[in-house]
Parts: sequence; C-alpha cells; structure tokens
Amino acid sequence: MALVETQALTKRYPGVVALDALDITIDSGIIGLVGANGAGKSTLIKILLGLLPATSGTAQVLTFDVATDGPDLRQFVGYMPEHDCLPPDISATEFVAHLAQVSGLPRSAARERTAETLRHVGLFEERYRDMGGYSTGMKQRVKLAQALVHDPQLIFLDEPTNGLDPAGRLEMLDLVQRTGREFGIAILMASHLLGEIERVCDSLVVIDGGRLVRSGAVAEFTADLGSLEVEVEGDAGRLVALLTERGFEARGEGRLAQIALEGAEPYDAIRDCIVELDMGLVRLEQRRQSLEDLFRPGAAEESDEPEPANV
Amino acid sequence: MSERAAGSIYDLGYRRYSGARLGRRHAVVALYVHGLRAAFGLGRRTRSKIFPISLAIIAAIPAIVQIAIASIVNTDDLEVFEAEEYYSYVQIVLALFAAAVAPELLGRDQRHQTLSLYFSRALSRYDYALSRFAAMATALLALTLLPQALLFFGNALAVDEFGGYFRREWDQIGPIILSGLLVSLFIAAIATTIAAQTPRRAFATIGIVVPFILLAPIAALLVETLDGARAGIFVSPFHVMNGFTFWFFNFFNATPDAGGNLAQADFHGSLYAIVALAVTAIGVALLLRRYERLSS
Repeated sequence: MALVETQALTKRYPGVVALDALDITIDSGIIGLVGANGAGKSTLIKILLGLLPATSGTAQVLTFDVATDGPDLRQFVGYMPEHDCLPPDISATEFVAHLAQVSGLPRSAARERTAETLRHVGLFEERYRDMGGYSTGMKQRVKLAQALVHDPQLIFLDEPTNGLDPAGRLEMLDLVQRTGREFGIAILMASHLLGEIERVCDSLVVIDGGRLVRSGAVAEFTADLGSLEVEVEGDAGRLVALLTERGFEARGEGRLAQIALEGAEPYDAIRDCIVELDMGLVRLEQRRQSLEDLFRPGAAEESDEPEPANV
Repeated sequence: MSERAAGSIYDLGYRRYSGARLGRRHAVVALYVHGLRAAFGLGRRTRSKIFPISLAIIAAIPAIVQIAIASIVNTDDLEVFEAEEYYSYVQIVLALFAAAVAPELLGRDQRHQTLSLYFSRALSRYDYALSRFAAMATALLALTLLPQALLFFGNALAVDEFGGYFRREWDQIGPIILSGLLVSLFIAAIATTIAAQTPRRAFATIGIVVPFILLAPIAALLVETLDGARAGIFVSPFHVMNGFTFWFFNFFNATPDAGGNLAQADFHGSLYAIVALAVTAIGVALLLRRYERLSS
C-alpha cells in the first residue's frame, strides 16, 4: 500500500500554478520533500492533509481520498506547520492534550499520550508553564509533539528546523530520525535545506515550480564522485597549478581544490606541494556528490544553506 | 534549551497507541466543551475569568432583586422585574458578554495561527466554526435562560404556596425557554460572525458592541421622528430581541402591547422572530463562508 499517491494533482492560484499535474507515489520511511521556496512544498502538504482543495487531479493518503475523507484521514496523520501556531497563554500539557482529543482520542488517553509525547520530544517540567515563555527550540518540540500525540501513521513536517540554531537543528533532526526509524512512523519532511534531508531521509521527492523533478532513494542522489577535496590556508589556485604541473588533474579556487582520484594516488603529492608552497592543510577528504550539487547549476542557492555535510 | 532536556530525549520511551479512536463526533464535542469552558475563562488564568463571570452574575441581579423583594413583601402580585421585560434590563450586559467572549473564541485561534492545528485534525472547517458558534450560544444561555429560570423558581418559592404559583404560571415556561434560546442564538450569530472577521481582539470587541449599542438609539430615532421609517426598528438587535420576547410571552398574540418603540412601530410580533431567525441564519452562513476561505 502506498502511503501517498497523487494523480495529475494540480493547484492553481490566480496567476500562479503552485502544483502542475503532479504524479507521485510515496511508500514508507522518511521522505524528504525538496524544493526551493515557492516550489509548492507547503501547498502539496496542505492538499494531502485535505486542508486545501486541489484545482484538479486526485490524491490518496493512507488510501483515504483527501478531498472527501478529510476528517477520517486526519485521525491517522499529523501535521507540524512551518509557522508559529502555539497560543502563548496556555501550557504545553493542556494544549497538546486538548488537541489530542480533537484528533479523536478519549480524554484519559489524551492525557497519557500527552505526557509520553512531550517526554519523547524532550520537554519536562517546562510543560506545565505557559508556552509564551518558551524558546524557539521548545516551541518546535511542542509543535512536533502535537503532530505525534495521536500516534499517527504518517506525519507531515514543514520545515521542522525553522528558526533553530545549529545545535537545535541537529537535535530536531535526531528526533525526527528516531521517530521515523524506531517507531515506524512514516514522515514526509519538507525542507529547502538539502543538508538536513541528506542527513535524515531515506528517499526524496524533488519538486520545482510545482513539477516533479525527480524522486528516489537518497543513495541514488549521492554517488561517490571519485575526487578528493582539499581545503588549505592560502591560495588554492597555486596548489592547483603546481599539481597540474606534476601531472594530476586538479581544479579549484579560493581555499578549496578538487583533485581527481584516477591514476596515481595523489596523497603524497598533495602533501609535498603544500609543504613546498608553505601553506596550511585544513582538510583532505574524499568527495561525494551532495544533494546540493544537483541544484547547483542554475539553481538559486539559499543564503542560509549550511556547509555540505562532510562524508 | 536546557542541557537536561537535550540529553534526555534519548532514553525515554514513546509508545505506539492502539486504543480507541473516537473520530469526528468526539473531536467536535471536545472542541465545543473546550470553547464553552474558555468562554468563562475556565482552565485559563484568573484574569480571563473575571470579566465573563462578573457579567454573568450582573445579568442575574434583576432576578435576585426580584426574589429578595418577593420574599420580604411576600405577595405574588409584586413583580418589579417581569420575565417578559427581562432582556430589556440586561441587554447591555448580554452585548458586553458577547463582545468579550466571541473574540476569545474566534479571534484567538486566528491571532496565534492555531487554526492549522485544528484543521489538520479529525474535523472539518465547518465543524470548527459551528462548534465555536454553539459554544458562544450555550455560554449566552447562562445569561439568558439561567436568570429567567432563577426568576421563575424564585418567585414560586417566595410566595406562600409553591404549587399554586406553579399552577398559575406554568405557561410561562414555554416563552422563557423559547425566548432564552432565540436571544442566545441571535446574539451568538451576530457576535461570532463579527469576531471571525479579524484576529485583532480590540477591533472585534468594538465591532460587536457598536451595532448593539449604537443601533438602538438610531432605531428609536427613526421610529419616533420619521413617519415612514418605522421599519427602522429592525436595524436594532435590542429592539428585535425585545419584540420577539414580548410576542412569546403574549402567547403569539398579534401586536405586543409593549410600551415605547415597539408600540410605535406597531408591527406584528412574529416579524421580530422572523427577522431574528433570518439574521441568525445569515450570520451562521457568513461565519461558515469566512472559515471556508481562511487560509490555514
């Protein structure tokens, strides 16, 4: 059974086509939904939740038709929106327990599940305080908890690391990964940060301008590139020139140089050249294609993109 | 984020849930009960309780005074505050209550963008809007039906023989219930529709108070001074409320023999009830339309 299936799903706003005849099938696991801002990620999630009507086409989630079975379907899915959505003058415990009931859980089960879920996301004594005083990290945890409290089969996360500092991001990603791996809850996670998707997801769906660009396992996207990446203190151009002179295939600029791993092993030569040029060696690693490489030609880079994950 | 919180996510269990899932009806009821509690600030801080609960008490004061008088004077002829005029005594209190509570029920979720969390659960947008409306109307019953019931049973207890009063006055029960219900639905429809239009609390409150309080003197002016403008009475919610209340308490007899503007306007009492029902229906329709279009 496919978790999510769409057939020619289209959403038009006046003047804009948000989704353009999208056909996707999503099975299980943690799935990344990738695309630049405005690519249609949030629109797709909202349609799959039955929150927005599609202009044309159909979609099924957990075999429910999203257009007609919304309330039934939504007993089994969770949603963590991108934006702030927590009232400040109520405690996390009360709020999440209330939402659990609105998801169809009996009152006592709602209370129990709330305590467990808030613990799972790492909220302890704070959960009895009004949410107005929470840090962004705590708010994101509550947002995740409310998506999980009714133990859905599938959760939609829209930019779950939004607004978090680097440490908070890693914690959130760990949490997402644990939730997906250990409890078998399928996760569709929208993000424009490819590093995050690469870190957490098993497979991904790439959309751009409302169209499906590609989908598949993350591993297919990140093949070994067969080159070394060298970061130096100093001008990498001089290193490239010297290595090329010695018969290696190299290119680079600024502080980074890429050296092909074909033919003779370049490790010793790189070391020697760096010593000769009296530069500092910062990093030497085998390069894999990162997801970002897919988007690099022509794609608008997000300014807050983190460094590519070091593999 | 505290060190402890960060460290502990790894060792505490999340379990799958295999218990009952009660579905849409349970979700709607849960939302309704939550809304009804929130209307009186229950489950919130003391600050949110003061205003609605004070107003609910103020709305019952005429009934309490009447009971006090009746029990001291001990005669069933002395009715200072009569049931059929009850809403004209407390109408401003009802409007203020609606103006305080409706923005809390409808604007709050818009203000904090909580609607996405509701709409992504086991109910529909209409369910949400109707459950809010129902919570508002039920909350208003505490200010309409409750004081009326107090008045009725108070009067009955104050006179010498309870049974006698009851036998003489039992036919008041129908009008009490009918008028209490319609007043509550009517005010709730106006207040929730206005409150749903804006996330801003102050705007919503003013937007509710103004038509109730400002339109009453305008209607009076139209009826009193302009000959052809007696239909102007229908622009005032207070006049409409009093119109159908009199009609109910007069057991659906043609023109209410009320004083003031109602007598001057001289419309059949049923018209006030029809206008009230129409306004209620239009109000609810506009409320549903608003929630159909609100982005989430």
